[in-house]
Amino acid sequence: MIELKNMSVNLGIFSAVRGVDLVIKPGDRIGVVGESGCGKSMLALSIMGMVPDALSTVGSLIVDGQELIDAPESTWTAHRARTMSMIFQEPMAALNPLRRIGDIVAEPLLVHDGLGKSAARARVIDLFTEVGIPQPELRLRQYPHELSGGQRQRVLIALALACNPRLLIADEPTTALDANVALRITDLLVELAQERNMALLFISHDLGAVSRATRDILVMYGGDIVERGTTQQVLQEPAHPYTQGLIAARPQISQTATRRKRLPTIAGSVPALINLPKGCRFSGRCPRELAKCASTRPRAVTTDQGSTVMCHLFEGGTAQ
Amino acid sequence: MTLRQLPANLIIGAILVILVLGVALLSTIWTPYDHAALSISNKFQGPSFAHLLGTDQLGRDVVSQLMVAAGNSMVVAVTAVFIGGTIGTMLGLLASAKGGWVEDLVMRLSDLGFAFPALLFAIMLAAAFGPSLPNVVIAIAFINIPVFARVSRASANQIWTREYVFAARAAGLGKIAISRDHILPNIAAPVIVQATIEFALAILIEAALSYLGLGAQPPSPSWGRMLSEAQTLMYLAPQLAVYPGLAIVTAVLGFGLLGDGLRDISDPRLARER
Repeated sequence: MIELKNMSVNLGIFSAVRGVDLVIKPGDRIGVVGESGCGKSMLALSIMGMVPDALSTVGSLIVDGQELIDAPESTWTAHRARTMSMIFQEPMAALNPLRRIGDIVAEPLLVHDGLGKSAARARVIDLFTEVGIPQPELRLRQYPHELSGGQRQRVLIALALACNPRLLIADEPTTALDANVALRITDLLVELAQERNMALLFISHDLGAVSRATRDILVMYGGDIVERGTTQQVLQEPAHPYTQGLIAARPQISQTATRRKRLPTIAGSVPALINLPKGCRFSGRCPRELAKCASTRPRAVTTDQGSTVMCHLFEGGTAQ
Repeated sequence: MTLRQLPANLIIGAILVILVLGVALLSTIWTPYDHAALSISNKFQGPSFAHLLGTDQLGRDVVSQLMVAAGNSMVVAVTAVFIGGTIGTMLGLLASAKGGWVEDLVMRLSDLGFAFPALLFAIMLAAAFGPSLPNVVIAIAFINIPVFARVSRASANQIWTREYVFAARAAGLGKIAISRDHILPNIAAPVIVQATIEFALAILIEAALSYLGLGAQPPSPSWGRMLSEAQTLMYLAPQLAVYPGLAIVTAVLGFGLLGDGLRDISDPRLARER
Protein backbone atom coordinates (compact mmCIF):
# COMPACT_ATOMS: atom_id res chain seq x y z
CA MET A 1 0.00 0.00 0.00
CA ILE A 2 2.69 2.48 1.05
CA GLU A 3 6.29 1.83 0.16
CA LEU A 4 9.33 3.90 1.11
CA LYS A 5 12.56 3.12 -0.76
CA ASN A 6 15.81 4.70 0.33
CA MET A 7 13.87 7.77 1.43
CA SER A 8 15.68 10.59 3.23
CA VAL A 9 14.56 13.87 4.73
CA ASN A 10 17.33 16.40 4.30
CA LEU A 11 18.06 19.82 5.71
CA GLY A 12 20.70 21.05 3.33
CA ILE A 13 23.46 18.43 3.41
CA PHE A 14 22.26 16.96 6.71
CA SER A 15 19.76 14.14 6.99
CA ALA A 16 17.04 14.00 9.64
CA VAL A 17 15.94 10.67 8.17
CA ARG A 18 18.54 8.69 6.21
CA GLY A 19 17.76 6.14 3.55
CA VAL A 20 14.72 4.47 5.08
CA ASP A 21 13.12 1.41 3.46
CA LEU A 22 9.67 0.57 4.73
CA VAL A 23 6.60 -1.21 3.43
CA ILE A 24 3.25 -0.64 5.12
CA LYS A 25 0.42 -3.06 4.29
CA PRO A 26 -3.22 -2.97 5.46
CA GLY A 27 -3.52 -4.33 8.98
CA ASP A 28 0.14 -3.79 9.82
CA ARG A 29 0.80 -2.44 13.28
CA ILE A 30 4.28 -0.96 13.36
CA GLY A 31 5.87 0.73 16.35
CA VAL A 32 8.58 3.37 16.04
CA VAL A 33 10.77 3.99 19.09
CA GLY A 34 13.83 6.08 19.81
CA GLU A 35 14.87 9.14 21.78
CA SER A 36 13.58 12.62 20.98
CA GLY A 37 15.28 14.01 17.89
CA CYS A 38 15.89 10.62 16.28
CA GLY A 39 13.77 11.32 13.24
CA LYS A 40 10.62 9.48 14.32
CA SER A 41 8.29 12.42 13.81
CA MET A 42 10.08 13.45 10.62
CA LEU A 43 9.47 9.95 9.24
CA ALA A 44 5.79 10.30 10.10
CA LEU A 45 5.51 13.75 8.55
CA SER A 46 7.22 12.58 5.36
CA ILE A 47 4.60 9.84 4.95
CA MET A 48 1.93 12.55 5.40
CA GLY A 49 3.66 14.84 2.91
CA MET A 50 3.84 17.45 5.65
CA VAL A 51 7.58 17.92 6.06
CA PRO A 52 8.32 21.60 6.85
CA ASP A 53 9.23 23.71 3.82
CA ALA A 54 12.84 24.14 4.87
CA LEU A 55 13.45 20.40 4.56
CA SER A 56 13.34 18.25 1.44
CA THR A 57 12.47 14.60 0.94
CA VAL A 58 14.41 12.51 -1.55
CA GLY A 59 14.26 8.88 -2.59
CA SER A 60 11.02 7.14 -3.31
CA LEU A 61 7.64 7.21 -1.56
CA ILE A 62 5.06 5.17 -3.41
CA VAL A 63 1.38 5.14 -2.46
CA ASP A 64 -0.81 2.69 -4.37
CA GLY A 65 1.77 2.52 -7.15
CA GLN A 66 1.95 6.31 -7.46
CA GLU A 67 5.23 8.10 -6.77
CA LEU A 68 4.53 10.96 -4.34
CA ILE A 69 7.99 12.13 -3.37
CA ASP A 70 7.75 15.42 -5.29
CA ALA A 71 3.96 15.54 -5.53
CA PRO A 72 2.32 18.97 -5.21
CA GLU A 73 0.31 19.90 -2.13
CA SER A 74 -3.00 19.30 -3.94
CA THR A 75 -2.13 15.62 -4.59
CA TRP A 76 -1.26 15.18 -0.95
CA THR A 77 -4.44 16.93 0.18
CA ALA A 78 -6.44 14.37 -1.79
CA HIS A 79 -4.57 11.49 -0.13
CA ARG A 80 -4.62 12.79 3.43
CA ALA A 81 -7.60 11.66 5.51
CA ARG A 82 -8.42 8.95 2.95
CA THR A 83 -5.15 7.11 2.48
CA MET A 84 -3.26 8.27 5.55
CA SER A 85 -4.18 10.31 8.58
CA MET A 86 -2.40 11.36 11.73
CA ILE A 87 -2.99 12.11 15.38
CA PHE A 88 -0.72 14.24 17.49
CA GLN A 89 1.03 14.37 20.79
CA GLU A 90 -0.68 17.30 22.45
CA PRO A 91 -4.48 16.97 22.22
CA MET A 92 -5.15 20.47 23.57
CA ALA A 93 -2.96 22.22 21.02
CA ALA A 94 -4.31 20.11 18.16
CA LEU A 95 -7.88 21.38 18.60
CA ASN A 96 -8.82 24.89 17.56
CA PRO A 97 -10.05 26.52 20.80
CA LEU A 98 -12.55 28.71 18.95
CA ARG A 99 -14.52 25.91 17.29
CA ARG A 100 -16.99 23.34 18.54
CA ILE A 101 -15.59 19.82 18.42
CA GLY A 102 -18.52 18.62 16.31
CA ASP A 103 -17.66 21.21 13.67
CA ILE A 104 -13.97 20.33 13.75
CA VAL A 105 -14.64 16.64 13.12
CA ALA A 106 -17.33 17.37 10.50
CA GLU A 107 -14.96 19.50 8.44
CA PRO A 108 -13.13 16.77 6.47
CA LEU A 109 -16.52 15.12 5.83
CA LEU A 110 -17.94 18.31 4.31
CA VAL A 111 -14.80 19.18 2.37
CA HIS A 112 -13.48 15.75 1.41
CA ASP A 113 -16.48 13.46 1.18
CA GLY A 114 -18.90 16.18 0.10
CA LEU A 115 -21.50 15.22 2.69
CA GLY A 116 -24.38 17.53 3.56
CA LYS A 117 -24.61 19.10 6.99
CA SER A 118 -27.04 16.64 8.54
CA ALA A 119 -25.33 13.61 7.01
CA ALA A 120 -22.00 14.87 8.34
CA ARG A 121 -23.54 15.37 11.77
CA ALA A 122 -24.89 11.83 11.85
CA ARG A 123 -21.48 10.52 10.77
CA VAL A 124 -19.74 12.53 13.53
CA ILE A 125 -22.08 10.99 16.11
CA ASP A 126 -21.19 7.52 14.78
CA LEU A 127 -17.49 8.36 14.96
CA PHE A 128 -17.77 9.68 18.52
CA THR A 129 -19.56 6.50 19.53
CA GLU A 130 -16.89 4.41 17.82
CA VAL A 131 -14.03 6.12 19.67
CA GLY A 132 -15.87 5.90 22.99
CA ILE A 133 -17.08 9.43 23.62
CA PRO A 134 -20.20 9.21 25.81
CA GLN A 135 -23.31 11.25 24.95
CA PRO A 136 -22.06 12.22 21.47
CA GLU A 137 -25.11 14.39 20.70
CA LEU A 138 -24.31 16.66 23.65
CA ARG A 139 -20.56 16.66 23.06
CA LEU A 140 -20.95 17.91 19.50
CA ARG A 141 -21.67 21.40 20.75
CA GLN A 142 -18.87 21.59 23.28
CA TYR A 143 -15.59 23.44 22.90
CA PRO A 144 -12.18 21.77 23.37
CA HIS A 145 -11.59 23.36 26.79
CA GLU A 146 -14.70 21.63 28.15
CA LEU A 147 -13.20 18.17 27.61
CA SER A 148 -10.60 16.17 29.55
CA GLY A 149 -7.28 15.24 27.97
CA GLY A 150 -8.35 11.71 27.17
CA GLN A 151 -11.63 12.90 25.60
CA ARG A 152 -9.73 15.41 23.49
CA GLN A 153 -7.44 12.69 22.20
CA ARG A 154 -10.54 10.65 21.34
CA VAL A 155 -11.92 13.64 19.41
CA LEU A 156 -8.65 13.83 17.48
CA ILE A 157 -8.83 10.13 16.73
CA ALA A 158 -12.40 10.65 15.46
CA LEU A 159 -11.12 13.53 13.30
CA ALA A 160 -8.32 11.38 11.90
CA LEU A 161 -10.70 8.49 11.18
CA ALA A 162 -13.45 10.63 9.64
CA CYS A 163 -12.70 9.70 6.03
CA ASN A 164 -11.74 6.05 6.74
CA PRO A 165 -7.98 6.26 6.20
CA ARG A 166 -6.08 3.06 5.45
CA LEU A 167 -3.10 4.13 7.54
CA LEU A 168 -3.27 5.93 10.87
CA ILE A 169 -0.07 7.49 12.14
CA ALA A 170 -0.11 8.11 15.88
CA ASP A 171 2.72 10.45 16.88
CA GLU A 172 3.23 9.89 20.60
CA PRO A 173 -0.54 9.83 21.17
CA THR A 174 -0.27 9.04 24.86
CA THR A 175 2.64 11.23 25.97
CA ALA A 176 0.44 14.00 27.37
CA LEU A 177 -1.99 11.64 29.12
CA ASP A 178 -1.85 9.93 32.49
CA ALA A 179 -0.95 6.24 32.56
CA ASN A 180 -4.48 4.90 32.90
CA VAL A 181 -5.93 6.98 30.09
CA ALA A 182 -2.84 6.28 27.98
CA LEU A 183 -3.48 2.57 28.31
CA ARG A 184 -7.10 2.94 27.22
CA ILE A 185 -6.20 5.14 24.24
CA THR A 186 -3.55 2.61 23.19
CA ASP A 187 -6.06 -0.23 23.35
CA LEU A 188 -8.61 1.84 21.46
CA LEU A 189 -6.15 2.44 18.62
CA VAL A 190 -5.41 -1.29 18.37
CA GLU A 191 -9.11 -2.15 18.38
CA LEU A 192 -9.89 0.42 15.68
CA ALA A 193 -6.99 -0.79 13.55
CA GLN A 194 -8.18 -4.39 13.81
CA GLU A 195 -11.85 -3.62 13.16
CA ARG A 196 -11.11 -1.47 10.15
CA ASN A 197 -8.17 -3.53 8.82
CA MET A 198 -6.28 -0.26 9.02
CA ALA A 199 -2.51 0.00 9.25
CA LEU A 200 -1.16 1.70 12.37
CA LEU A 201 2.18 3.45 12.69
CA PHE A 202 2.60 3.94 16.43
CA ILE A 203 5.34 6.34 17.46
CA SER A 204 6.14 6.37 21.16
CA HIS A 205 8.73 6.63 23.91
CA ASP A 206 6.70 4.19 25.91
CA LEU A 207 8.08 0.72 25.19
CA GLY A 208 5.24 -0.81 27.21
CA ALA A 209 2.61 0.83 25.01
CA VAL A 210 4.50 -0.15 21.88
CA SER A 211 4.75 -3.79 22.92
CA ARG A 212 1.04 -3.77 23.69
CA ALA A 213 -0.02 -2.11 20.46
CA THR A 214 2.26 -3.36 17.70
CA ARG A 215 3.45 -6.50 15.95
CA ASP A 216 6.54 -5.03 14.31
CA ILE A 217 8.94 -2.42 15.54
CA LEU A 218 11.44 0.04 14.14
CA VAL A 219 14.14 1.42 16.41
CA MET A 220 15.38 4.76 15.12
CA TYR A 221 18.54 6.62 16.02
CA GLY A 222 19.92 9.70 14.30
CA GLY A 223 17.63 9.22 11.31
CA ASP A 224 18.64 5.59 10.74
CA ILE A 225 16.48 2.56 11.44
CA VAL A 226 19.10 0.81 13.55
CA GLU A 227 17.04 -2.26 14.34
CA ARG A 228 13.78 -3.73 13.10
CA GLY A 229 11.88 -6.94 13.58
CA THR A 230 8.87 -8.31 15.34
CA THR A 231 8.09 -6.35 18.48
CA GLN A 232 8.38 -9.44 20.64
CA GLN A 233 11.78 -10.44 19.25
CA VAL A 234 13.32 -6.97 19.39
CA LEU A 235 12.10 -6.13 22.89
CA GLN A 236 13.02 -9.52 24.36
CA GLU A 237 16.34 -10.02 22.64
CA PRO A 238 17.53 -6.59 21.53
CA ALA A 239 20.57 -6.92 19.29
CA HIS A 240 21.68 -3.34 18.64
CA PRO A 241 23.55 -1.69 21.55
CA TYR A 242 21.18 1.29 21.25
CA THR A 243 18.08 -0.88 21.60
CA GLN A 244 19.67 -2.60 24.56
CA GLY A 245 20.34 0.78 26.14
CA LEU A 246 16.77 1.96 25.52
CA ILE A 247 15.30 -1.12 27.15
CA ALA A 248 17.69 -0.96 30.11
CA ALA A 249 16.77 2.68 30.68
CA ARG A 250 13.11 1.80 31.31
CA PRO A 251 12.13 2.66 34.89
CA GLN A 252 10.76 -0.25 36.89
CA ILE A 253 8.89 0.33 40.12
CA SER A 254 10.35 -2.64 42.01
CA GLN A 255 13.88 -1.68 41.10
CA THR A 256 13.74 1.93 42.19
CA ALA A 257 11.68 1.34 45.30
CA THR A 258 13.53 -1.55 46.87
CA ARG A 259 17.10 -1.47 45.66
CA ARG A 260 17.44 2.28 45.18
CA LYS A 261 19.73 1.64 42.27
CA ARG A 262 20.29 4.49 39.86
CA LEU A 263 18.32 4.14 36.64
CA PRO A 264 20.67 3.03 33.87
CA THR A 265 20.90 5.59 31.06
CA ILE A 266 22.53 5.87 27.68
CA ALA A 267 25.53 8.14 28.14
CA GLY A 268 25.33 11.52 26.43
CA SER A 269 22.41 12.79 24.39
CA VAL A 270 21.29 12.75 20.78
CA PRO A 271 23.69 14.99 18.87
CA ALA A 272 22.25 17.85 16.85
CA LEU A 273 21.69 17.23 13.17
CA ILE A 274 24.86 19.10 12.19
CA ASN A 275 27.04 17.14 14.63
CA LEU A 276 25.95 13.63 13.71
CA PRO A 277 28.91 11.25 13.26
CA LYS A 278 29.75 10.21 9.71
CA GLY A 279 29.71 6.45 10.21
CA CYS A 280 27.37 4.75 12.61
CA ARG A 281 25.36 7.54 14.16
CA PHE A 282 25.44 5.90 17.55
CA SER A 283 29.24 5.96 17.66
CA GLY A 284 30.51 8.16 20.45
CA ARG A 285 27.71 7.00 22.77
CA CYS A 286 27.93 3.28 22.08
CA PRO A 287 29.32 1.11 24.90
CA ARG A 288 30.60 -1.52 22.44
CA GLU A 289 32.11 0.77 19.86
CA LEU A 290 34.67 -0.61 17.37
CA ALA A 291 37.44 1.34 15.66
CA LYS A 292 35.63 1.62 12.33
CA CYS A 293 32.29 2.71 13.78
CA ALA A 294 32.95 6.44 13.68
CA SER A 295 33.98 6.47 10.02
CA THR A 296 32.10 3.66 8.25
CA ARG A 297 28.34 3.38 8.05
CA PRO A 298 27.24 -0.17 8.95
CA ARG A 299 25.07 -2.17 6.56
CA ALA A 300 21.74 -3.58 7.65
CA VAL A 301 22.11 -7.31 8.34
CA THR A 302 19.58 -9.92 9.34
CA THR A 303 20.39 -11.79 12.53
CA ASP A 304 19.75 -15.45 13.17
CA GLN A 305 16.75 -14.44 15.24
CA GLY A 306 15.16 -12.75 12.25
CA SER A 307 15.51 -9.09 13.12
CA THR A 308 17.49 -6.65 11.02
CA VAL A 309 20.28 -4.70 12.65
CA MET A 310 22.43 -1.88 11.38
CA CYS A 311 25.59 -2.42 13.42
CA HIS A 312 29.20 -3.48 12.69
CA LEU A 313 29.02 -6.02 15.52
CA PHE A 314 26.68 -8.15 13.43
CA GLU A 315 28.29 -7.95 10.04
CA GLY A 316 29.70 -11.46 10.33
CA GLY A 317 26.12 -12.73 10.54
CA THR A 318 25.95 -13.20 14.30
CA ALA A 319 27.12 -11.13 17.21
CA GLN A 320 30.88 -11.01 17.49
CA MET B 1 -14.26 40.79 33.40
CA THR B 2 -16.61 43.18 35.14
CA LEU B 3 -17.39 46.67 33.93
CA ARG B 4 -15.04 48.22 36.50
CA GLN B 5 -12.05 46.26 35.21
CA LEU B 6 -12.47 47.53 31.66
CA PRO B 7 -9.82 50.07 30.66
CA ALA B 8 -10.95 53.71 30.82
CA ASN B 9 -10.09 54.36 27.17
CA LEU B 10 -12.46 51.60 26.13
CA ILE B 11 -15.36 53.00 28.16
CA ILE B 12 -14.85 56.63 27.10
CA GLY B 13 -14.34 55.55 23.50
CA ALA B 14 -17.47 53.41 23.55
CA ILE B 15 -19.58 56.27 24.98
CA LEU B 16 -18.37 58.72 22.32
CA VAL B 17 -18.88 56.17 19.53
CA ILE B 18 -22.40 55.34 20.72
CA LEU B 19 -23.15 59.09 20.85
CA VAL B 20 -21.94 59.69 17.29
CA LEU B 21 -23.58 56.54 15.88
CA GLY B 22 -26.81 57.37 17.72
CA VAL B 23 -26.92 60.87 16.24
CA ALA B 24 -26.11 59.48 12.79
CA LEU B 25 -28.91 56.91 13.04
CA LEU B 26 -31.36 59.49 14.37
CA SER B 27 -30.63 61.78 11.44
CA THR B 28 -32.05 59.20 9.04
CA ILE B 29 -35.50 59.47 10.65
CA TRP B 30 -35.59 62.87 12.32
CA THR B 31 -33.79 66.20 12.34
CA PRO B 32 -35.08 69.42 13.94
CA TYR B 33 -35.27 71.13 10.52
CA ASP B 34 -34.60 70.22 6.93
CA HIS B 35 -30.80 70.55 6.89
CA ALA B 36 -30.86 72.28 3.49
CA ALA B 37 -33.78 74.66 4.10
CA LEU B 38 -32.58 78.22 3.55
CA SER B 39 -33.89 81.15 5.53
CA ILE B 40 -31.85 84.21 4.75
CA SER B 41 -33.77 86.37 7.25
CA ASN B 42 -32.64 84.03 10.04
CA LYS B 43 -28.93 83.95 9.21
CA PHE B 44 -26.18 84.04 11.89
CA GLN B 45 -28.55 83.45 14.78
CA GLY B 46 -27.00 82.54 18.11
CA PRO B 47 -28.07 79.51 20.14
CA SER B 48 -31.75 79.53 21.09
CA PHE B 49 -34.48 77.01 21.84
CA ALA B 50 -35.63 77.17 18.23
CA HIS B 51 -32.09 76.59 16.90
CA LEU B 52 -29.98 74.93 19.62
CA LEU B 53 -26.69 75.82 17.96
CA GLY B 54 -27.99 78.72 15.92
CA THR B 55 -27.98 79.10 12.14
CA ASP B 56 -25.28 79.62 9.51
CA GLN B 57 -24.70 82.29 6.85
CA LEU B 58 -27.68 81.06 4.81
CA GLY B 59 -29.95 80.61 7.83
CA ARG B 60 -29.72 76.80 7.82
CA ASP B 61 -30.08 75.04 11.16
CA VAL B 62 -26.60 74.00 12.40
CA VAL B 63 -27.81 71.06 14.52
CA SER B 64 -29.64 69.52 11.56
CA GLN B 65 -26.60 69.93 9.35
CA LEU B 66 -24.26 68.37 11.94
CA MET B 67 -26.63 65.41 12.33
CA VAL B 68 -26.93 64.67 8.61
CA ALA B 69 -23.18 65.19 8.21
CA ALA B 70 -22.59 62.62 10.97
CA GLY B 71 -24.68 60.14 8.98
CA ASN B 72 -22.74 60.84 5.78
CA SER B 73 -19.45 60.54 7.59
CA MET B 74 -20.39 57.19 9.16
CA VAL B 75 -21.66 55.76 5.88
CA VAL B 76 -18.43 56.74 4.12
CA ALA B 77 -16.23 55.37 6.90
CA VAL B 78 -18.15 52.10 7.31
CA THR B 79 -18.33 51.32 3.60
CA ALA B 80 -14.73 52.29 2.92
CA VAL B 81 -13.22 50.40 5.86
CA PHE B 82 -15.46 47.41 5.15
CA ILE B 83 -14.48 47.20 1.48
CA GLY B 84 -10.79 47.91 2.10
CA GLY B 85 -10.71 45.63 5.15
CA THR B 86 -12.36 42.71 3.34
CA ILE B 87 -10.10 42.90 0.30
CA GLY B 88 -7.01 43.51 2.43
CA THR B 89 -7.76 40.67 4.84
CA MET B 90 -8.40 38.27 1.97
CA LEU B 91 -5.11 39.25 0.34
CA GLY B 92 -3.32 38.81 3.66
CA LEU B 93 -4.86 35.36 4.16
CA LEU B 94 -3.92 34.40 0.61
CA ALA B 95 -0.35 35.61 1.07
CA SER B 96 -0.04 33.69 4.31
CA ALA B 97 -1.57 30.49 2.90
CA LYS B 98 0.38 30.42 -0.35
CA GLY B 99 3.72 31.78 0.82
CA GLY B 100 6.54 31.99 -1.71
CA TRP B 101 6.22 34.45 -4.57
CA VAL B 102 2.52 35.14 -3.90
CA GLU B 103 3.35 36.34 -0.41
CA ASP B 104 6.28 38.41 -1.70
CA LEU B 105 4.11 40.00 -4.38
CA VAL B 106 1.29 40.93 -1.99
CA MET B 107 3.70 42.34 0.57
CA ARG B 108 5.73 44.37 -1.94
CA LEU B 109 2.51 45.79 -3.39
CA SER B 110 1.41 46.75 0.11
CA ASP B 111 4.81 48.40 0.65
CA LEU B 112 4.05 50.38 -2.47
CA GLY B 113 0.67 51.36 -1.00
CA PHE B 114 2.36 52.50 2.21
CA ALA B 115 4.83 54.60 0.26
CA PHE B 116 2.07 57.07 -0.64
CA PRO B 117 0.83 59.33 2.16
CA ALA B 118 -2.81 58.30 2.62
CA LEU B 119 -4.31 61.78 2.30
CA LEU B 120 -2.21 62.69 -0.72
CA PHE B 121 -3.26 59.49 -2.43
CA ALA B 122 -6.93 60.22 -1.72
CA ILE B 123 -6.55 63.74 -3.13
CA MET B 124 -4.93 62.27 -6.22
CA LEU B 125 -7.79 59.83 -6.77
CA ALA B 126 -10.46 62.43 -6.11
CA ALA B 127 -8.74 64.84 -8.50
CA ALA B 128 -8.49 62.17 -11.18
CA PHE B 129 -12.04 60.81 -10.95
CA GLY B 130 -13.89 63.88 -9.83
CA PRO B 131 -15.04 64.99 -6.40
CA SER B 132 -17.93 62.92 -5.02
CA LEU B 133 -18.68 60.77 -1.97
CA PRO B 134 -18.39 57.43 -3.84
CA ASN B 135 -14.91 58.43 -5.01
CA VAL B 136 -13.98 59.32 -1.44
CA VAL B 137 -15.16 55.83 -0.41
CA ILE B 138 -13.03 54.21 -3.12
CA ALA B 139 -9.98 56.27 -2.17
CA ILE B 140 -10.25 55.44 1.55
CA ALA B 141 -10.97 51.77 0.79
CA PHE B 142 -7.87 51.62 -1.39
CA ILE B 143 -5.70 53.15 1.31
CA ASN B 144 -6.96 50.52 3.76
CA ILE B 145 -6.13 47.47 1.64
CA PRO B 146 -2.38 47.33 2.43
CA VAL B 147 -3.01 48.04 6.11
CA PHE B 148 -5.32 45.07 6.49
CA ALA B 149 -3.20 42.86 4.24
CA ARG B 150 -0.29 43.39 6.62
CA VAL B 151 -2.18 42.90 9.85
CA SER B 152 -3.96 39.77 8.67
CA ARG B 153 -0.87 38.21 7.09
CA ALA B 154 1.23 38.76 10.21
CA SER B 155 -1.47 37.28 12.46
CA ALA B 156 -2.23 34.45 10.03
CA ASN B 157 1.43 33.43 9.82
CA GLN B 158 1.38 32.87 13.57
CA ILE B 159 -1.77 30.75 13.38
CA TRP B 160 -0.38 28.60 10.55
CA THR B 161 2.25 27.24 12.92
CA ARG B 162 -0.34 26.06 15.45
CA GLU B 163 -0.77 22.37 15.95
CA TYR B 164 -4.51 22.46 15.22
CA VAL B 165 -3.72 23.72 11.74
CA PHE B 166 -1.39 20.73 11.40
CA ALA B 167 -4.18 18.45 12.55
CA ALA B 168 -6.55 20.01 10.03
CA ARG B 169 -4.02 19.47 7.25
CA ALA B 170 -3.55 15.88 8.37
CA ALA B 171 -7.33 15.51 8.15
CA GLY B 172 -7.11 16.44 4.49
CA LEU B 173 -8.23 20.07 4.52
CA GLY B 174 -6.83 22.27 1.78
CA LYS B 175 -5.30 25.69 2.31
CA ILE B 176 -8.47 27.57 1.43
CA ALA B 177 -10.63 25.53 3.81
CA ILE B 178 -8.06 25.97 6.60
CA SER B 179 -7.86 29.72 5.96
CA ARG B 180 -11.64 30.02 6.13
CA ASP B 181 -12.36 27.71 9.05
CA HIS B 182 -9.30 27.98 11.26
CA ILE B 183 -7.21 31.03 10.39
CA LEU B 184 -9.94 33.65 9.92
CA PRO B 185 -11.71 33.14 13.29
CA ASN B 186 -8.36 33.31 15.05
CA ILE B 187 -7.21 36.57 13.43
CA ALA B 188 -10.59 38.26 13.90
CA ALA B 189 -9.50 40.08 17.08
CA PRO B 190 -6.51 41.99 15.63
CA VAL B 191 -8.43 42.70 12.41
CA ILE B 192 -11.40 44.17 14.33
CA VAL B 193 -9.08 46.31 16.45
CA GLN B 194 -7.38 47.56 13.30
CA ALA B 195 -10.77 48.27 11.69
CA THR B 196 -11.80 50.47 14.64
CA ILE B 197 -8.60 52.49 14.43
CA GLU B 198 -8.88 52.75 10.64
CA PHE B 199 -12.43 53.99 11.17
CA ALA B 200 -11.13 57.04 13.02
CA LEU B 201 -8.63 57.71 10.23
CA ALA B 202 -11.33 57.29 7.59
CA ILE B 203 -13.51 59.94 9.30
CA LEU B 204 -10.53 62.27 9.39
CA ILE B 205 -9.68 61.71 5.72
CA GLU B 206 -13.29 62.17 4.68
CA ALA B 207 -13.42 65.46 6.59
CA ALA B 208 -10.12 66.58 5.07
CA LEU B 209 -11.24 65.78 1.52
CA SER B 210 -14.56 67.57 2.05
CA TYR B 211 -12.69 70.52 3.53
CA LEU B 212 -10.75 70.69 0.28
CA GLY B 213 -13.97 70.47 -1.69
CA LEU B 214 -13.18 66.98 -2.98
CA GLY B 215 -15.78 65.12 -0.92
CA ALA B 216 -19.50 65.63 -0.35
CA GLN B 217 -20.97 68.18 -2.77
CA PRO B 218 -23.58 70.77 -1.72
CA PRO B 219 -26.28 70.58 -0.53
CA SER B 220 -25.19 67.30 1.12
CA PRO B 221 -23.60 68.50 4.39
CA SER B 222 -20.26 67.35 5.67
CA TRP B 223 -18.25 68.32 8.73
CA GLY B 224 -15.23 69.09 6.58
CA ARG B 225 -17.12 71.41 4.25
CA MET B 226 -18.94 73.13 7.12
CA LEU B 227 -15.47 73.85 8.49
CA SER B 228 -14.17 75.28 5.25
CA GLU B 229 -17.28 77.46 4.77
CA ALA B 230 -16.99 78.74 8.33
CA GLN B 231 -13.34 79.59 7.79
CA THR B 232 -14.23 82.49 5.51
CA LEU B 233 -16.59 83.82 8.20
CA MET B 234 -14.10 83.45 11.04
CA TYR B 235 -14.48 87.05 12.28
CA LEU B 236 -18.21 87.23 11.69
CA ALA B 237 -19.34 83.97 13.33
CA PRO B 238 -16.43 82.02 14.88
CA GLN B 239 -18.83 79.55 16.53
CA LEU B 240 -19.67 78.07 13.11
CA ALA B 241 -16.11 76.68 12.88
CA VAL B 242 -16.15 75.34 16.42
CA TYR B 243 -19.19 73.04 16.02
CA PRO B 244 -18.02 70.85 13.11
CA GLY B 245 -14.51 70.85 14.58
CA LEU B 246 -15.87 69.47 17.86
CA ALA B 247 -17.93 66.91 15.96
CA ILE B 248 -14.81 65.64 14.12
CA VAL B 249 -12.81 65.52 17.35
CA THR B 250 -15.59 63.59 19.11
CA ALA B 251 -15.89 60.97 16.37
CA VAL B 252 -12.16 60.50 15.76
CA LEU B 253 -11.30 60.44 19.46
CA GLY B 254 -14.16 58.02 20.15
CA PHE B 255 -13.11 55.46 17.56
CA GLY B 256 -9.44 55.93 18.38
CA LEU B 257 -9.97 55.29 22.10
CA LEU B 258 -12.31 52.39 21.38
CA GLY B 259 -9.68 50.80 19.12
CA ASP B 260 -6.96 51.25 21.75
CA GLY B 261 -9.23 49.85 24.44
CA LEU B 262 -10.19 46.83 22.35
CA ARG B 263 -6.53 46.14 21.67
CA ASP B 264 -5.74 46.36 25.37
CA ILE B 265 -8.34 43.79 26.34
CA SER B 266 -7.64 41.49 23.38
CA ASP B 267 -3.91 41.47 24.16
CA PRO B 268 -3.44 41.81 27.93
CA ARG B 269 0.34 41.79 27.57
CA LEU B 270 0.24 45.23 25.96
CA ALA B 271 -1.96 46.68 28.70
CA ARG B 272 0.30 45.47 31.48
CA GLU B 273 3.41 46.93 29.93
CA ARG B 274 2.10 50.45 30.13
